[in-house]
Amino acid sequence: MSGPPAVEIEDLHYRYPGGPAALRGVSLVVAAGEMVAMVGQNGAGKSTLARHLNGLLRPAAGRVRIFGRDTARLRVSELARYVGYVFQNPDHQIFRETVAAEVAFGPANLGCPPDEIEARVHAALRFVNLEEKRDANPHLLSRGERQRVALASVLAMQTPVLVLDEPTTGQDYRTSLEIMERVAELNRAGHTVIFITHDMELVARYASRVVVLARGKVVADGGVRETFASPGVLAASHLAPPDITCLAREMAPWGIPGDVLTVEEMLAVLAPLVGGRGC
Amino acid sequence: MSGAIGYVSQASPVHRLHALVKVLWALGVLITSLAFTDVRYLAGVLASVLVVAAAARVLLRLLPALAGLAVFALILVFFQAVFLDRGRVLFYIIPWAKILPVTGAGLLLGAAMGLRMLSIVLSFLVLLATTQVKDITTMLVARCRVPYDYAFLFATILRFVPVFLREARQVDQAQRARGLVVEGPNPWRKLKGYAPLAVPLVLLSLRRAEQLAVALEMRGYGQGGGVAADRPLKNRDRFLIAGLVLIIGALLAARVAGYGT
Amino acid sequence: MIRVENLSFRYAGAQEPALCEVNLEIAPGSFVGLVGSAGAGKTTLLRCLNGLVPHFYGGTLTGRVTLDGVALADLSVAAIARTVGTVLEDAESQLVCAEVEEEVAFALENLQLGPAAIRARVQGALEMVGAAHLARRPTASLSGGEKQRVAIAAVLALRPRVLLLDEPASELDPRGTEELFAVLGRLRRECGLTMVVAEQKTGHLARYADRIVVLDRGRVVVDGPPRPVFSRAAELAACGVRLPQVAELAAALGGAGETTPLTPAEGRVWLEELLGGGRRVRAARG
Repeated sequence: MSGPPAVEIEDLHYRYPGGPAALRGVSLVVAAGEMVAMVGQNGAGKSTLARHLNGLLRPAAGRVRIFGRDTARLRVSELARYVGYVFQNPDHQIFRETVAAEVAFGPANLGCPPDEIEARVHAALRFVNLEEKRDANPHLLSRGERQRVALASVLAMQTPVLVLDEPTTGQDYRTSLEIMERVAELNRAGHTVIFITHDMELVARYASRVVVLARGKVVADGGVRETFASPGVLAASHLAPPDITCLAREMAPWGIPGDVLTVEEMLAVLAPLVGGRGC
Repeated sequence: MSGAIGYVSQASPVHRLHALVKVLWALGVLITSLAFTDVRYLAGVLASVLVVAAAARVLLRLLPALAGLAVFALILVFFQAVFLDRGRVLFYIIPWAKILPVTGAGLLLGAAMGLRMLSIVLSFLVLLATTQVKDITTMLVARCRVPYDYAFLFATILRFVPVFLREARQVDQAQRARGLVVEGPNPWRKLKGYAPLAVPLVLLSLRRAEQLAVALEMRGYGQGGGVAADRPLKNRDRFLIAGLVLIIGALLAARVAGYGT
Repeated sequence: MIRVENLSFRYAGAQEPALCEVNLEIAPGSFVGLVGSAGAGKTTLLRCLNGLVPHFYGGTLTGRVTLDGVALADLSVAAIARTVGTVLEDAESQLVCAEVEEEVAFALENLQLGPAAIRARVQGALEMVGAAHLARRPTASLSGGEKQRVAIAAVLALRPRVLLLDEPASELDPRGTEELFAVLGRLRRECGLTMVVAEQKTGHLARYADRIVVLDRGRVVVDGPPRPVFSRAAELAACGVRLPQVAELAAALGGAGETTPLTPAEGRVWLEELLGGGRRVRAARG
């Protein structure tokens, strides 16, 4: 693949009016087609950084480029064609009386013709498994369903880049996995995905790269496997790899590799040791 | 302007005053601003408010809000100047077609409205920046015989102002991220453009109100009681109250006598 | 002692019941973790334990909840709150005052306690949750974890014997979650508080709770100490409950019942037992 990277951030600084510095020199390049997890404690600057990708916030210093275009020259409504942003709380956006109308809002703002809007709504709702709820009132759906409506309403804009701000916070485990499976599928279909989360098990399972932010700076950036296997930087940001990775490191004397990411992987490396036991 | 509303924890001569003095001062600004229409008198009122803000060391903090209000005030001036068609025409907004005449009377009335709004809003921002809400409510209940429920309601509304503003910002961001553009020349489209912002905000506020009711019920609100004793007035406070009452009285008397209209 | 007897509840206007024939006895000093997917009935059960159902949220209720033998239906919400304190899911909306100190004093002022008693209790409650330094801060300026702790202090000021928390860690980052559970553990240890905590983060519940109650569609489906409960991987997965990863591994390796490991350190001991100590020595020497 050639062409400019999906996201290119150069020495980005930002300060909220009257507040301390929120971003202090962040540089980051995300290639088209990557699946990147952004982690760090609350207040580390994750959401502030993400809001620069679609122009909701403007750099105080530094530069943000999306597919080579400087965001400083584009309005939010223009950037909305390239970067979709799914917010943490679906109730901050849902306002229409039917699910279909809610999902149609974005494409209509982009100026799509009616038949195109209909096709996009249909595809987005099918993708998040809400086809049968298209005429339902979104306010009466469960929290998990509302989160999927919000996801569909951004998907219908068919942006090459997707930013998800804590998509699974406040969701139960089943819903979290459902949402992340959908997001992973979008990534396989070619979307560049950047998601913010506190859930290291989801990072281990779905991301290929992890960016750790602390006090407005990138303190670690690399493959999930390498980053979790050397947990020094994580610990410095009060983060810990998933339990199963910690167990694998404890089991080093048994020849277990320290970069195990999931229970399935652990079972695979244990299989020769336990012989016929287990599944 | 969310940063402009609310208590600023610092020491200043204004902070040290009793809540009653500052409430009386804000009311005085309100009454005199409404009473006078002469731009010179109103400019004087605004100047006095700015002096108090400076003495309280909150002027810099209120500056962004002040700038926003000034823009709003200018719009007021513009509308008054354009739509009040009496008196001598000074100039036309569109001179070659002689459309939208601006009259001297209109300009003055507009300026008066703008100054009034600035003084009133700013005085209340200074009050809130220098006085703890608790002190205001205690004072209202203990000295002004305001029923506790009303004083508490007032305090609760202030408590949720920053929450509401934060949520408004989040809703605004979520909709703009989906390509919403509220600007534009067509007023009907503009009005319709606010539904995506207003509907989520109203629903969120309703949910919050229900949770607030639950929280109050669980903590025994409404079983009587609830107010501690008010702080005693110091001599400094008494002196200022007397002074304020005299000044407000004198200004109102002057107004009745025909000055400053 | 809280006793839930044959409790069923359907919200007014709802098709399905939110709770179905729930029976529970919650012993003083126990730490009960309530788990289950969204809509399983966790929040409704907590509302039954603090009287919000049926006093605030109406519907069809059968069975009963008693507190030391007195039916909650016969007490007011405010009266129950003096024994059973509740922290709602959204701590933010529970904070009704402008400043932390006022917030913690609020319920005490409603009780018309004297100023000295109020000051002492406020101080004590804030210290208990490690938030004494926040006393003069505006509530709007607190972080998520601080809000949660202040909300707990505001409830503790009433000196309840039972504390109910509805997904207290859902909005917190890993550090905030860790600190919160440390506070809960201390409250139980030092004050003997009974805890009922609904939570998705089962890893933390596994370490702090001594009993896990699994709800599914309004029914209690599993109930017991953490180790045996988290060994029942298939049942829990069917209820949409996340297992601690180490317990999941143990279950996949044949299960461990009462000896199910819950943390990485326990997992190592358990695995070494499984693999046989002798080989480890050889591996280490070789």
